[in-house]
Amino acid sequence: MAETLRQPVSSIALTPANKPKTETSKISVARLLAIAGVCLTLLPIVPGLLWVLWPAFNMDVWHALVTDGQFARALISTLSSAIGSTLLSLMAASLIAIWLYPGKGWALAQRQLPIFLAFPHIAFAIGIAFLIAPSGWLARGLANLLEWSSPPQWVSIRDPYAISLTITMAIKETWFLLWIMATLLGEQAISRQITLANSLGYSRRQVWISALLPQLLPRMGWPLVAVLAYSLSVVDMAVILGPSTPPTLAVISWQWLTDPDAMTQAKGSAAALCLMILLGLLIVLARALWWWIKRLYRDPTGIRKPGRIFKTRAVSGIPVFIPGWLALAILVLWSVAGGWFFPNLWPNSLSLKSWNSADFGPMLTALWIGMATVMISLPLTLAWLEWGSRKHHGWLYAPLILPSLPIAAAQYHVLLHLNLDSTAIGVIWSHLTWTFPYMVLVLVGPYYNFDNRYLCTAQALGHSHLNACLRIKWPMLMKPILAAMSVGFAVSVAQYLPTLFSGGGRFATVTTEAVALSAGSNRRVLAVQSILQTALPLCAFMLAILLTAWYSRNRQGLK
Amino acid sequence: MNTLSVKHLSIARKDGSPLLGPLTFNIEPGEIMTLMGVSGAGKSTVLNWLIGASQPMFEVNGEGWLGNTRIDTLATEERRIGILFQEDLLFPHFSVGDNLAYALPAATKGKAARRDAIETVLNSAGLKDFYHRDPATLSGGQRARVSLLRALIAEPQALLMDEPFSKLDTTLRQQFRQFVYDRVQARKIPTLLVTHDAEDIPAGGKVLELHAAEPSHA
Repeated sequence: MAETLRQPVSSIALTPANKPKTETSKISVARLLAIAGVCLTLLPIVPGLLWVLWPAFNMDVWHALVTDGQFARALISTLSSAIGSTLLSLMAASLIAIWLYPGKGWALAQRQLPIFLAFPHIAFAIGIAFLIAPSGWLARGLANLLEWSSPPQWVSIRDPYAISLTITMAIKETWFLLWIMATLLGEQAISRQITLANSLGYSRRQVWISALLPQLLPRMGWPLVAVLAYSLSVVDMAVILGPSTPPTLAVISWQWLTDPDAMTQAKGSAAALCLMILLGLLIVLARALWWWIKRLYRDPTGIRKPGRIFKTRAVSGIPVFIPGWLALAILVLWSVAGGWFFPNLWPNSLSLKSWNSADFGPMLTALWIGMATVMISLPLTLAWLEWGSRKHHGWLYAPLILPSLPIAAAQYHVLLHLNLDSTAIGVIWSHLTWTFPYMVLVLVGPYYNFDNRYLCTAQALGHSHLNACLRIKWPMLMKPILAAMSVGFAVSVAQYLPTLFSGGGRFATVTTEAVALSAGSNRRVLAVQSILQTALPLCAFMLAILLTAWYSRNRQGLK
Repeated sequence: MNTLSVKHLSIARKDGSPLLGPLTFNIEPGEIMTLMGVSGAGKSTVLNWLIGASQPMFEVNGEGWLGNTRIDTLATEERRIGILFQEDLLFPHFSVGDNLAYALPAATKGKAARRDAIETVLNSAGLKDFYHRDPATLSGGQRARVSLLRALIAEPQALLMDEPFSKLDTTLRQQFRQFVYDRVQARKIPTLLVTHDAEDIPAGGKVLELHAAEPSHA
């Protein structure tokens, strides 16, 4: 038998002296590097914001802003489009989830989702404009039915009430919220509750409303703030689809901030500050609303409403993306259209003329800026996740939940003070503010779920922490790392304001080009640039998928 | 080989309430000492401290020595202590051979020599022609053996094992246990084994049993 040496353990006095150092100095150097990366990319924005917003701390400026003839109507269209699109997208995403989850339709929707998440806002907005304009597919369809001979007189894009802007943003953000919901529903704990509550006698719809939504909604808080901040301060989509006399507050603020007159600039600062205040107020309001809604969930009555047997077919996952597919189709069709006269649904002739004479310069510019941005973001992201602070992690996401207009203006001021405005370095740095947090966001889940005993094993075999990361941890995380890189690239390509501000107008990318062309009348050239703008992120995502498959071709454990 | 010694080890939770200790023990070369105790008694914490994994939840005091070298102040990679976990944790992106090559010290130089050394080790464990295999295609017993070979080929001066047998079924467990004990004793490696299962205790081996400290009542 084993010789047993039993040693009861009693409480002892702890002496803090002679405490062994468990962390070597190397680790703290790495940690410093991780923090330095964050400081270089995000911290300069703080003084930048002060520079931008400082002129707004003056009552005269506010007086000028409030009495400006455009202000009141701009404020109303901003509020209605921001609140409207956020609420509509939340409702649409919830209804789609209630309708489809769990089922084959949900799975089909999930498979299409990446395409439409990668579909840039601007290209989508241009596609929608092509669909609903007086000479678009919608009017052509009606014209064929009602035998019109000329386009209708309706104002369907740039309408004064920002309805087309609201609906287009709502559709685009619905897909984003569906993606967030899908990640939350992927968790075992939540999906099992449907079965559990069903077994208690509640119908699927009841389970959704009484048990799932109240769990999902609070966890969708930050994504919803991001949606709200985006729709409040969006400039590019508002230029394409929003009202023009007056435009939304963000567009006015942008025009004023780039005005040479000091007073106009100050009004622009005040408008930018106004956007941030609006965001804050709306968040407070939404929290109050949520607090009130939560009270409705108290004291369940126990009433069961048995539903029908639930069966959806996979086909029901298709309607979710109809606007997206139509927008893609019309863009492609216009890019290869020869003559296309009014009531016809199909071009009279197809030609590659627009493609042969297309300007690929903006695409190449977007490509190298995007690649450079990702190549700088990647080491920053990995260093932050490995050695950065988990406690202060949340601050990193600030650029994602703040209106982008003041931030882009702040970046411009910082670059101006450093004499780096209108340089490639300046543009790339300005993109980092968004690519870096987005890449961290995509990677953080897989990264923190990684079994660090692999790292410990590698170190126990005699390899340094850095070597173990380079040879073991990061290669094992190749799939999410590639996904994060493609998201980072897509985010960089889609940047409009930072490219314009920091680049001083000298860097024409597919994004700035598409917005600039949207004011003109050449649909074919615009369609070509919009497709190129869509192709870049889509190719990046496909490349990531192919590389992952190739990398794990002989290794089942990585799949 | 040297003796693995732990002197005056005491562990407290971050709130100051003591978890265990003070603990002092020696493990002679080739000896397998078993650490037992209910969950929450601090077994894994002892292992993590010996290997040098960061434990922000605990306050640890004490000294760890390998012969005349103090190890608890060194970085994990400088301690020359091997570790086996419950799961085999073979690196999934490497082949079986690459897993071993990553562990083989750089002192074995040259492609051919390194390949030879690894093939020899694989042969000795009945894993001939496994060099290029994907670890995911191996059986549980084969994976367990490769993970031990990987730990040993790095020439560790001591070995820690965190319930390495608990995931295997009964017959396999018996075989793998013998496989491990034979090799550890042949190489005279001081070994600390953490387990729940009294059957894992090697014949004549020392046992240290930890009792959960009572939560402090303020």
